[in-house]
Amino acid sequence: MQPIPESRKISPFLVFFLIHAIQVGAGVLGFQRIIAKNAGYDGWISVILAGITTHILMMIMYLLLDKGGGDLVSAHRIAFGKWLGKAADFLFVLYFTLLVVTILRTYIEVVQVWMYPRLSTFYFALAFMILAYYIVSGGVRNIAGVAFFGTVLPSYLLLTFAFTFPFSDFRNILPVFDHSLKDMLIATKNMSLTFLGYESILLLYPFIKNAKKSQKHAQWGLFTTTTVYVIIAIISFAFFSEKQLAKTVWATLSMWKIVEMPFVERFEYIGIANWCLVILPNVCIALWCASRIMKRITPINQRHSIWILSVIVIGTLSFLTNRKQVDMLNTLSGEIGFYLNYVYIPILLLVVIIMKKVRKKV
Amino acid sequence: MFSFFKNKNTDQNKKKPSYESIKTALEKSADYKQAFYQNQFTGVKFSLHFFTTLIDGKIIQEDVLPSLLSKDFNDLEDLKTLVPIVDIQVSDDESVIEQKLLNGYTMLTMDKSHRKFAFIATKNEMGRKVSQPEVEFSVVGPKEAFVESLSDNLNLLRKRIPVKEFTVEEVTVGTITHTRIALLYLDGLADEANVNTVRQRLKDVDFDQVMDSSFIEQLISDNSLSPFPQLLDSERPDRVASVLVEGKIAILVDGSPHALIGPTTLVEFFNAYEDYFLNFIVASFFRLVRVFAVSFSILITPLYVAALTYHYELIPKDLMATLVTSRQEIPLPPILEALFLELTIELLREAGARLPTKVGQTIGIVGGIVIGTASVEAGLTSNVLLILVALAALASFTTPVYRMGNTIRILRFPFLLFAQLWGLLGIVFCFCFLMGHLMRLTSLGRPFLEPLYPPRLKDLKDALIRFPFYKQSNRPGFLRTKKSVRFSPREGKKKLDIDE
Repeated sequence: MQPIPESRKISPFLVFFLIHAIQVGAGVLGFQRIIAKNAGYDGWISVILAGITTHILMMIMYLLLDKGGGDLVSAHRIAFGKWLGKAADFLFVLYFTLLVVTILRTYIEVVQVWMYPRLSTFYFALAFMILAYYIVSGGVRNIAGVAFFGTVLPSYLLLTFAFTFPFSDFRNILPVFDHSLKDMLIATKNMSLTFLGYESILLLYPFIKNAKKSQKHAQWGLFTTTTVYVIIAIISFAFFSEKQLAKTVWATLSMWKIVEMPFVERFEYIGIANWCLVILPNVCIALWCASRIMKRITPINQRHSIWILSVIVIGTLSFLTNRKQVDMLNTLSGEIGFYLNYVYIPILLLVVIIMKKVRKKV
Repeated sequence: MFSFFKNKNTDQNKKKPSYESIKTALEKSADYKQAFYQNQFTGVKFSLHFFTTLIDGKIIQEDVLPSLLSKDFNDLEDLKTLVPIVDIQVSDDESVIEQKLLNGYTMLTMDKSHRKFAFIATKNEMGRKVSQPEVEFSVVGPKEAFVESLSDNLNLLRKRIPVKEFTVEEVTVGTITHTRIALLYLDGLADEANVNTVRQRLKDVDFDQVMDSSFIEQLISDNSLSPFPQLLDSERPDRVASVLVEGKIAILVDGSPHALIGPTTLVEFFNAYEDYFLNFIVASFFRLVRVFAVSFSILITPLYVAALTYHYELIPKDLMATLVTSRQEIPLPPILEALFLELTIELLREAGARLPTKVGQTIGIVGGIVIGTASVEAGLTSNVLLILVALAALASFTTPVYRMGNTIRILRFPFLLFAQLWGLLGIVFCFCFLMGHLMRLTSLGRPFLEPLYPPRLKDLKDALIRFPFYKQSNRPGFLRTKKSVRFSPREGKKKLDIDE
């Protein structure tokens, strides 16, 4: 790996925004139904449990980065050698590309359902990918900037949930712990899919100044995400009845309908439009990660690989036309992400440690 | 001054034009004069060569000729004892003749001393007197503004910063205009890297003419394809002196009453220098008003178009009633209505700017009142939009820096188009592009969006809100100054308890 010039690196505290920004995406708009399906009003506990697992995984990832030579690609190389390592890298290129497709398609779905039923998937995706290209070609500093603004600017939206309080009953969440452990664990697993994306640290790591000390910020990022999700979960449980929640696909958006100010009503339009700012860092980080791996394993210029990936993304997007396919896409990328993070990464860490010991002996 | 001539010499060494060839070239001009004289005592014959349009004839008549004609004048070297003028140079280098003559020197040659020339400074200093700032006017505070003359401008700055560290480096830029450019900074304070960047970029400029500092701004700015100015220009010597002390770099161009300041940030373009003359609470309020004004000016018409084209539901029903009544008779869709009015305002502004002041005022009244009212009565535009567009135009004029104000006015058009295309989503989308663009911009290699991004809390003390002076104990961090502390911050903090 070429050493990254100091001027292209980012301050460690920006890791907070990068981690937080990629975790919060279209998932926030409709995660309530998924956790309530199994855990009912106890879903918020599952959110906390899933949050705790992310902290543990983040520790594992930092350990992996520390032992594995700086990023995912070098870890793969230590673990599997040159060619098998590249194959494993390519898997991650596919995964991150899938992530871009999922994030963007889900957002377009939201826009189509709530705002413009006749919005052309192709043209919007095209415009969005041009925007993403413009930002990603500015490098990690720009991506961190988008993550920063994508976190700070839409943060005012949290306040708007206060409009639901007059119609809410916080006693809904009582009694606590009235679901079986199994139900809670299923809900936890489902919730952990919404939290995915923080594995991008595996590639961002070499771009951080004082990278070893950045773990603190990464953990705070995870903590903030969990807190935001718990707050929204509790507010929605207080607002919706359990049966209503089972039928509401985008519960967060439905809550915004309640907002009423002297100059604006139907706040969900503003919310969805603003969500563009939240989706942008998601797409940019995932796209960057995919193109970064491409740069590391192939001689292709990173700009060109972004073009190639964008064409693939737009092509795939246009074939996904109905709600069922989008749902399937979400499940698919969620499952793949789950196994990559919770199963593959810990195993990779073990293999790296073992291979290092073996090579030392040889 | 010295480097200026040295530079010229190296240029001319290549060809080495002879005295005769220069003379024949100069004689083509009608204002080139040669006069021949003879001293009464010594009988020495000598001649004076000059451009009548460049020199002050009075100096020759009153200071030079009387002593040369009636006193004991034998040799070129006698000049320095006979003529009461500071700048007299004797040279045998023919290559400097052209440059000296064109800079307002009078050349004296003698038949006796062949191939030797004396140059007497007789330049006619013409130009404006230092007057009031007009672009960056302030009610309180100093009332001096830069003028066209570089030396006058340097004088205005030198008297404000009387320290030896204040360094003035000079270069010439422009293959034909040979414009003098001064690079100013405080040595030992400004970051070497920044100074080197400017020095290098000025050296690399290859252009035939430099008529104003804005030429330099466009030639050396980091991204010349951006609509945003990346160097701040100011006509206030107090402001320039103040940023020099902060650790920034200023560029003065001969013939331009505007200095360039860098590295700068986006936020700085919305700070008027008057903010420092006012109480920090008042100043902060004004700054926030300006930020609001800018966002309002860019977003209000696109929001109108978005809401009326796509999102009727957004508007509460009472407000909707007002809007509907005012739009009832309008045959045009909101986007055309908005474009029509926006273009009218731009037309008025442009016409006002091109016409002489007095006619311009009339145009303003005619445009503002007659066209506005008439177009509403004719049913071409709605009252509400007319108010919004007029307010937006007003708001765009609150930007203290003229160049930035222009950029702001252009920005609303892409927003309008995206608003028509995708409503609110389009506006946010366009905003994302703008944000991405601003994040990529740099000013002399320093991030343009600082302290917003990269976020530096410490530098927010003088950004959107101006903290009181005793809180401003550190220089802006992004400048990487060699002495980051302005004064010891302790002194401001002493506070007595009740009744002590």
